[in-house]
Amino acid sequence: MSGVRPQAAGAGLARSQLPQPNLASLLSTSLGRSLARLLLALMLLALWQYQPSDKLRFWMSGPVQIVGRLWTWLLDGSLWGNVGSTLLAMSLGYTIGTGIGVALGLLFGLMPRLHRVLSPYITALYAMPKIALAPLFVIVLGIGIESKVALVAITVFFLVLNSTLDGVRNVDRDLVRALSLMGATRSEVIRKVLIPATLPWIFTGMRIAVRYAFTNTLLAELIASNSGIGFMIEYYSGVFDATGTYAAILVLVIMSVGLTELLTTIEAKMSHG
Amino acid sequence: MPRVELSGVSKAFVTREREVQALQPTDLGVEPHEFVALVGPSGCGKSTILNLIAGLLQPSSGVVRYDGAAVQSVNRAVGYMTQKDTLLPWRTAADNIRVALELKCRAGSRNDAESRVAQIIDLVGLGGFEKHYPAELSGGMRKRVALARTLIYEPETLLMDEPFGALDAQLKLLMLDQLQALTRQRRMTVLFVTHDLGEAITLADRVVVFSARPGRIRTIRAIDLPRPRDVFSIRFTEAFAHLHESLWDELKDEVARGTDV
Repeated sequence: MSGVRPQAAGAGLARSQLPQPNLASLLSTSLGRSLARLLLALMLLALWQYQPSDKLRFWMSGPVQIVGRLWTWLLDGSLWGNVGSTLLAMSLGYTIGTGIGVALGLLFGLMPRLHRVLSPYITALYAMPKIALAPLFVIVLGIGIESKVALVAITVFFLVLNSTLDGVRNVDRDLVRALSLMGATRSEVIRKVLIPATLPWIFTGMRIAVRYAFTNTLLAELIASNSGIGFMIEYYSGVFDATGTYAAILVLVIMSVGLTELLTTIEAKMSHG
Repeated sequence: MPRVELSGVSKAFVTREREVQALQPTDLGVEPHEFVALVGPSGCGKSTILNLIAGLLQPSSGVVRYDGAAVQSVNRAVGYMTQKDTLLPWRTAADNIRVALELKCRAGSRNDAESRVAQIIDLVGLGGFEKHYPAELSGGMRKRVALARTLIYEPETLLMDEPFGALDAQLKLLMLDQLQALTRQRRMTVLFVTHDLGEAITLADRVVVFSARPGRIRTIRAIDLPRPRDVFSIRFTEAFAHLHESLWDELKDEVARGTDV
């Protein structure tokens, strides 16, 4: 028995010296980082849930109440209706803005004199924050989806128009000449040189425009609308319902993360293909 | 009737409100199926002449005629291989070579396009690089793609601006041999701009020597070496040496003057 003791004491000493390097090495593994994040989140949520003041409860709500509200929305269908409304307005506006932006960008690129006449107006409208037009769209188009689509479309339009124009302007004129000398018609030059050379620029504009489209859909909904996630945030904060407001913001966070992930995936695929 | 005719053609460029005379009034006629080499120091207006014949530039005075008609816009009867290779960066070598056959004006040649592309890739020694993009090819290989792209649609007249400048000596000889064979066989008219007097004598029916800027024709020499010429050995013949010596006498003062500018 006595022969065992020194060993046990030695092991105990080694263990007491190790904890600090152990924690650092634990945090440098991905599992360790996930555990630490989870722990942090649980601590904050517990603090939020079990804070003692009833006054604060009114302004801050609590995680259990918020999740409960989300569950209610899921069951009564109002969540999908509003998420769908936001996504529909965003994608419609995005598609319209991109389509017109690319078409006019190519047209102005092919007719530089027309572009030169119009360019001061385009520059002025491009520089103006488009959100200032939102109240105008509400007057003209109402608080339905149309005013949201209009705001998103005009924002996306200017972004895509400008990147398309940059693309057309940067086409190597020598390539155009080379094809013309081979006997290419104007439309063949457009299809075989102008459009392929401009495509990367168009994609860049489209990529940037996705985030603007999302933000501006939300802003339009916050200003005046009758559906959408932005509408929910605005509505529940208007009636001092903290639980509803936080629940809607949580949905928004999930949508933003989803959109960012989607964009990252698409970009990764495009840069590899 | 000459295929290409320059009558009193001059060209001046305006840069920063200063007028630079690139080409003094020049007369030159090129007969059908003739191979004419233009040599001279840098900036003597050789490339300007090709641009004028291609219709990419308009003369400041005089008139450029092609088959008797004044060239007023892009001249589609010529194939132009410019100094800078104008390959489409998003197309592979084979797709770049094929592009001329995809155009409406050559719709009939689409059926055998694949075999013609394969054939010409073989001819310019690009086998194995068909699927490479221009950015993945060396300068010399890009030149060969550009040459293949120009030759494949067999233009009636070929304008070439220092096409083989970037190639190493051995490869250059191979390419000169191929070019000679092709242009003879297809009875092309060729205007060939080069720095290399040996290259000019090897290939040409006539060599035109230009003076330094502002460019004008200093002398025109007919090259009466018998055809077909062996590009590998002709430079060691006595007749070649004589021609080279007398033309070099004309050229060397101009080159010296050209480098002062």
